[in-house]
Amino acid sequence: MIQALLFLHLFLQPQAEASQASAQAKVLLQSGIDAENRHDLDHALVEFRKAAESDPSSPEVLLRLGDAYMKKHDAAEAIPPLKRAAELSPDSVPIQQLLGYALLAQGYAAEAIPHLEIARDPGPLGIAQLEHDEPAKAMANLQSALENDPDNPDLLFYVSRAATAAGSQSTDKLLAAFPSSARAHQTRGQSYYQMKMIPEAVKEYEQAIAIRHDLPGLHLELGEIYAARAEWLKAEEQFRAETTLQPGSAEAAFRLGDALVQEGKMKEAADELRRSDSLHPNMPETLYAMGRALAAADPSAAEQALNGVLKIEQNTSLAAQADLLLATIHRKQGKSELASREMEDYRRIQELRGQ
Amino acid sequence: MRSGFRKPGILLVLAVLPVFAQLVTRDSQFQLTPLHGVDFVLRNSPTPRKYLIETMPGGVALLDYNNDGLLDIFLVNAGHVRDPLRSPVHFERDNPAYWNRLYRQNKDGTFTDVTVQAGLQHAGDTNYGMGVAVGDYDNDGFPDIYVTNFGKNILYHNNGDGTFTDVTAKAGVAAGGWSVSAGFFDYDNDGKLDLFVTRYLDWTPETSKTCGRIEDPMYCPPGEFGSTTNILYHNRGDGTFEDVSVSSGIAAKKGHGLGIAFADYDGDGFTDVFVANDATEQFLFHNNGNGKFSEVALDSGAALNNSGKMPSGMGVVFQDYDNDGLPDVLITQLPHEPYVLFHNDGNKSFSALELETGFGALSGTSSGWGVGLEDFDNDGWKDAFIVQGHVFDNVHSYDNSLRYRDVPLLALNNRGHFQRGNVGPTRAVAGRGAAFGDLNNDGWIDAVTTSLGDGPQFYLNRGGKSHWLTITLRGMRSNRDGYGARVQVNGQVRFATAAGSYLSSSDKRLHFGLGDNKKAEIEIRWPSGIRQTLRDVPVDQFLTIKEPERK
Repeated sequence: MIQALLFLHLFLQPQAEASQASAQAKVLLQSGIDAENRHDLDHALVEFRKAAESDPSSPEVLLRLGDAYMKKHDAAEAIPPLKRAAELSPDSVPIQQLLGYALLAQGYAAEAIPHLEIARDPGPLGIAQLEHDEPAKAMANLQSALENDPDNPDLLFYVSRAATAAGSQSTDKLLAAFPSSARAHQTRGQSYYQMKMIPEAVKEYEQAIAIRHDLPGLHLELGEIYAARAEWLKAEEQFRAETTLQPGSAEAAFRLGDALVQEGKMKEAADELRRSDSLHPNMPETLYAMGRALAAADPSAAEQALNGVLKIEQNTSLAAQADLLLATIHRKQGKSELASREMEDYRRIQELRGQ
Repeated sequence: MRSGFRKPGILLVLAVLPVFAQLVTRDSQFQLTPLHGVDFVLRNSPTPRKYLIETMPGGVALLDYNNDGLLDIFLVNAGHVRDPLRSPVHFERDNPAYWNRLYRQNKDGTFTDVTVQAGLQHAGDTNYGMGVAVGDYDNDGFPDIYVTNFGKNILYHNNGDGTFTDVTAKAGVAAGGWSVSAGFFDYDNDGKLDLFVTRYLDWTPETSKTCGRIEDPMYCPPGEFGSTTNILYHNRGDGTFEDVSVSSGIAAKKGHGLGIAFADYDGDGFTDVFVANDATEQFLFHNNGNGKFSEVALDSGAALNNSGKMPSGMGVVFQDYDNDGLPDVLITQLPHEPYVLFHNDGNKSFSALELETGFGALSGTSSGWGVGLEDFDNDGWKDAFIVQGHVFDNVHSYDNSLRYRDVPLLALNNRGHFQRGNVGPTRAVAGRGAAFGDLNNDGWIDAVTTSLGDGPQFYLNRGGKSHWLTITLRGMRSNRDGYGARVQVNGQVRFATAAGSYLSSSDKRLHFGLGDNKKAEIEIRWPSGIRQTLRDVPVDQFLTIKEPERK
């Protein structure tokens, strides 16, 4: 990835330094540039090397030599002439920039950072900072680079990595500085859950809740753990606590409604899911859960909710599930033609999805 | 209750304090009771190579093989698995440790191992044992035994003198591959029992593989192996069977068959077949009545669970749980998805009602295998008893909220809604097979379950005050045991069968809990089409009903 980003330098034409090279060096330099223009990099390198031997104190010659090595993907050879050039011309942006690239390409992130700072090149600088374990700084620079180049996959990749690393660093700090805080327990709970260590995760969440029962999100996350284990009674208890804490949370209402569906408490579930729908209308998962809750007691309302799903979702597994449930509702009502049509749609989606 | 069981010291104290003991056990329906004389151990021989066959056995049958009125127990053993296992396979089935066993019940409730006496010690060295089906295929009045294997299946003819004869070769029912559950039923109503065999996977030791972590491998899910067909054998009536899997349409569908159950779900007078498939759509084979079957599960709403997912179907039972007279389907499966309940809506279609009926809150983190829908508390509503235990013996290392060994689930039926009941003190095992029947003839249904690496568990029903009626069918034009008959008692319906559950065969007698009713009205529709009604029948009795000669 670093290599990919460093190819950017190919589009940078070394700015002509004030030409102070000796006459012989100038001839060799021009010969090298001509070879480069003919895409004969090997010959260009020979000429630039001779020019550098002829005039080892010319920043322009040394920049050209370093640049040629970089074009040959040989960052190791590029570094010495570029370092020398930087010593001779410390304010030259092209020299600092190219030296920063070369160092970064060789894994010398810390060393690359000051050069890239002088060059004010936020993308590579952010990468170097990320590699140097400075994710917060990296994040800022990468975001800045991304503003100018929003579809660059390499930048997007590094932004994502930086965000993760920044989060991890904050977590480490949180756990080290406040090990007994609710947030520390919550964080450990999340980690245990990711590792599928469920009893440990539950214990951490319970400790977090014991410390700060009013912290938004705790009950929701613990409820989701129970829900994933199909322990619906416990899940319901947690989601209910979350809805009490956050009556305006559509997600909490949806989760509670879904848990109630799983427990077969369809009437109560439908009420809660309707509430969720009013808070955040037309969420397909909410509508589907409403369809399940209402299927037996109010088939026409269930049908309406499921058709709502199908307006939003096409060819997804949720759409297939909605078709299947609609088919069941129609069959039960003796509407066999409609049921068959829904089954056809179900099969079509399954076929599209390769199932 | 369970913590008390785990603390024998406390139990001991309670045992000498009867008042407290009663308090502790008052609500439990069963008492885990030793089967005196039964020394069987289901030896599945797990290896580090995680051959999938190791985790699937084994079956149990409750049958009265000598017609003395007492249920006997037949237990299928697995075999020794070599490491590595290579074809041609040998499972040391000649070693008595790996024999299948028949235990005869004595009048005092103890059991005697009669395996050798009965001639059942030869299970076939190349066979790794799975399940058992029981049926009187030759209508001679003595139940015959069919044992399924990874390898070749075996049909043992009951000679009526306490001995059995291996008639597999003559009968032509060896099958092959990996057979699992099987069941006798009369699909063409010709009065002779036919045989359905489910098969699981296209698997051999050579195609075996492991999944999970290299350092801690686990058994692979079925999707890692090829699917296969089930087998239908037609009984010719001369001691031989014809494989009609292809001509009947049964072989047109490939799946991962594990459980089998029979009932006439659409009331057309022909017995239909439900196959519980593991991680594929479930199969409902509608009996067209002309020797052919159509697989209609998806279009009938009986293929996928409530959320449109393919169940990991293991065990299955096909009986009417809500007393609407129509057989419903209850399927056990892996954790995190509820056990599936397909309610028969009465118009040849089903609705998945596992959530509405309460199974969503009961399944949780358990894996279910053997299953029965029986009225354990005789209140007039069939309850569910499910044997549990995970597939993977190392599941804890992958997900420490799951457990390999588990306790059974008793789900009591409260007018169509199931709630957790109290099984009573028990212990966690790697449960697999389950058969149901009244072992002590007290009018209350008991359960015998199997577990890997362990002996069978006998759940003796503690009984109660409600009334009951147990019916033995005696077919004349229909098959002798009346398999396939629809029997209605005071509005409750049972479909006569010994099949269902997982790998197992239950008491063929039909048991009805009657609550406070002191009289019963019985309506029977025999497979022959003959209908019979009996009124003002006294309850609390074992009643044999003979099929009338005419319609």
